[in-house]
Amino acid sequence: MTRIYVIDNGGQWTHREWRVLKYLDVESKIVPNTAPFSEISDADGIVLSGGAPRIGIETSLGNCSEYLKKADFPIMGICAGHQYIARFFGGEAKPSIIPEFGKVEMTRLEDGSTIFEGVTKKSTVWESHNDEVTLVPDSFEILGESENCKVQAMQHKKRAIFGLQFHPEVEHTQYGEIIFKNFVKICQK
Amino acid sequence: MFDAEKFIKETISKLREDVKGKALIAFSGGVDSTVCAALVNKALGSELIAVHVDTGYMRKNESKEVIALMKELNLNYRFIDASKEYYKDLKDAVDPEKKRKIIGEKFIRIFEKVAKEENIKYLVQGTIAPDWIESGDTLRDTIKSHHNVGGLPEKMDLNLIEPLRDLYKDEVRKLGRALKISVSERQPFPGPGLAIRVIGKATPERTKTVREACFIVEEEIEKAAEKGIMELPWQYFAVLLPIKTVGVHGDKRAYGDVIAVRAVQSLDAMTCQFSEIPNTVIDKISTRITNVLGDKVNRVVYDVTNKPPGTIEWE
Repeated sequence: MTRIYVIDNGGQWTHREWRVLKYLDVESKIVPNTAPFSEISDADGIVLSGGAPRIGIETSLGNCSEYLKKADFPIMGICAGHQYIARFFGGEAKPSIIPEFGKVEMTRLEDGSTIFEGVTKKSTVWESHNDEVTLVPDSFEILGESENCKVQAMQHKKRAIFGLQFHPEVEHTQYGEIIFKNFVKICQK
Repeated sequence: MFDAEKFIKETISKLREDVKGKALIAFSGGVDSTVCAALVNKALGSELIAVHVDTGYMRKNESKEVIALMKELNLNYRFIDASKEYYKDLKDAVDPEKKRKIIGEKFIRIFEKVAKEENIKYLVQGTIAPDWIESGDTLRDTIKSHHNVGGLPEKMDLNLIEPLRDLYKDEVRKLGRALKISVSERQPFPGPGLAIRVIGKATPERTKTVREACFIVEEEIEKAAEKGIMELPWQYFAVLLPIKTVGVHGDKRAYGDVIAVRAVQSLDAMTCQFSEIPNTVIDKISTRITNVLGDKVNRVVYDVTNKPPGTIEWE
């Protein structure tokens, strides 16, 4: 069975990420972000959850930097997790000029990414963020944007590392389950 | 997917291992506590005692219906009317967190009293995932203290048993269907009851106003859904606001309260979208509330906020 763990950065929807993975028949558990890497080293992939920490202001997020340094498996960062990935690889996150909460329309900016396979050019996503990625690291490319947030999604150019500003784990995000299915497939490769 | 039969089997054997002796279940009569009671009853039988507390903040006819439900489920039950005490303790509470904490602690003290009389060591609660998630912990911010988690006093004598902790409402309903529970499709109702639907001080009088308004909202929306005019929302209710506005009643100036109507679509309460209610239905609700409650309410508004940024209930 594929093992994908959810790193808990204190998000309201961390447990929802665990539920979505469980529904996709993945072996999953919620791991607090204070756990050492040895606790997740047997994973086939991890999800870095969102959370209340302000990545636009603070510089650390539990042990996430250790996970990003040591992991050779796919990683999907959501919201704060996504912003932290950008920071880690040399990009930047700052407080949003117009933060997004609730329903937002995302536009895909490319059509080849595996994580968005089956997601239409425009789709409804659900948001809840005060900060956002303002500078994408050189090693990443932008996958999607919305009216008030230019980096809704990004992926590493060579490795299976993805960042999503919106929340694919909640019921109201139109293609949320498809995105999770795609991530599971990526972890199975 | 969620496998209700498997969950029932595993939970029953775990309960039989964990609970030695009598247990008390906090029974509000809502979906979570009812499904939880039916499940635990299967494991413990007559060792389980259901306690329903009438806080004075229940909906119209609710406590009577809850007693009927406890009988229907063949539960060994106690009914406690604590409404006067609740009104007294909440008299000056305005802050929603304060209200929730007073209510949560009071529940526990009542349960502890029953437990002492009956020599009970376990408290069973129908806590589900959103309750502890929103109540916050070392990693998570507190959105609101659910009375059964964040509202619990620091010191309590009972051991807590919460078999539905990892489930969401849609999964609890599936469980309810498997257990053939009549109320499994009922709309959610918060534990602190109408106390958090009266913004500001939840006096007996203001509670009466919001109770009637909730009754009208429920009746009109259910009627419209039955006729096929609209889809039945996931949750639908009224909130009494702490502001007054000007109106006109029979050529005279009126200065009365405002009722906000809220109806939302959700699956698991973790996100929601406000419901689209046909104008004919919202019109009927508005006219009925401002006529039946004419001496109190002269304005009705409809809440068009999703979650996030709002939560479902206002407090």
